[in-house]
Amino acid sequence: MADADIDRLAARRPLSPHLTIFKPILTMMMSIAHRITGAGLYVGMAFLTLFLLGAAIGGGAFSAVSWIASGFIGNLIILLIVWAIFHHLLGGVRHALWDRGLYMDPRGRELLAQGTLVGGILLTVLVLIFKTLAS
Amino acid sequence: MTVTTKFKSGRTEPGEAYVSDHSGSPHAHFMRLTSYALVPLGALSAWWILGLAGKTLDGVRAEIARPIPAIVLLVFGVIGMVHARRGMDDIIEDYVHDDALKAQALVANLWASRAIAALWVVAILLLAAPK
Ligand code: HEM
Ligand code: HEM
Repeated sequence: MADADIDRLAARRPLSPHLTIFKPILTMMMSIAHRITGAGLYVGMAFLTLFLLGAAIGGGAFSAVSWIASGFIGNLIILLIVWAIFHHLLGGVRHALWDRGLYMDPRGRELLAQGTLVGGILLTVLVLIFKTLAS
Repeated sequence: MTVTTKFKSGRTEPGEAYVSDHSGSPHAHFMRLTSYALVPLGALSAWWILGLAGKTLDGVRAEIARPIPAIVLLVFGVIGMVHARRGMDDIIEDYVHDDALKAQALVANLWASRAIAALWVVAILLLAAPK
């Protein structure tokens, strides 16, 4: 077969995973959520760095970056970062359990997926409540 | 990561075949070790990061410029960005297939992660320095 034909056939061959035909399942969603929160934290850390630098310099520099942590947008950014830390952290614990061969059966991994999702939200809400009470 | 070799198969020209550079297991191990450190560091940091919301400049200083939060956040930032750099390398290798673009993205990631970690440390040291 000519090279061009092979290239054309290769381009038409579907890539796995077939995003359009797979039924979304929770364990799969939590796998991709681990990646999304990881990449999100990368961006979040960049914003936090800007914010802390502005605070460290003070004066006009702080006014320029204060939107990152206050107002509607700022509160949302901080809350998303805190949630992403907890969700990604629990995802990491899940990886550590799997590394030891634990919770790999259908019920176990479903439990871990639910635990990651619910736990991440729960920890965020708990910290929010305690922080509000403490201040 | 994969590297090109001189290996020539029935389907490829020399230099077109890809083989493992055997960096996979050390990479996974590195992500695991940093993640163990990041569990306590991340949980504590989340507490103080949430405390930044809606604060005035004095409020931010009061939150961060104490020894324990400053030290924990500083170490979290450094280990976090070392871990994040390797993690982002994975993501780039998974999704960027053009060789030249991939090489550029990996270098950009290296320097972006270093810049974030370095500026993070500078900011916290400045905040925590006695006035
Ligand atoms: C919407 C569909 C899917 C998306 C967006 C997706 C995304 C991802 C991502 C981001 C990872 C790397 C993160 C990690 O290792 O935790 C991953 C790993 C993996 N996925 Fe999926 N996935 C999907 C569906 C599937 C399906 C249907 C299968 C199998 C039939 C599958 C098999 C795997 C395997 C085996 C790994 C581990 C690869 C490794 O350890 O290097 N995925 N997936
Ligand atoms: C809070 C504690 C943390 C824990 C326990 C943790 C754990 C992990 C683990 C185990 C992996 C490897 C996943 C795999 O093998 O598929 C990983 C990937 C990753 N982490 Fe973290 N991490 C934490 C914090 C962070 C932070 C703060 C950042 C960003 C600044 C980050 C960014 C990433 C990225 C970008 C990846 C790659 C995602 C992927 O390949 O799907 N992580 N994390």
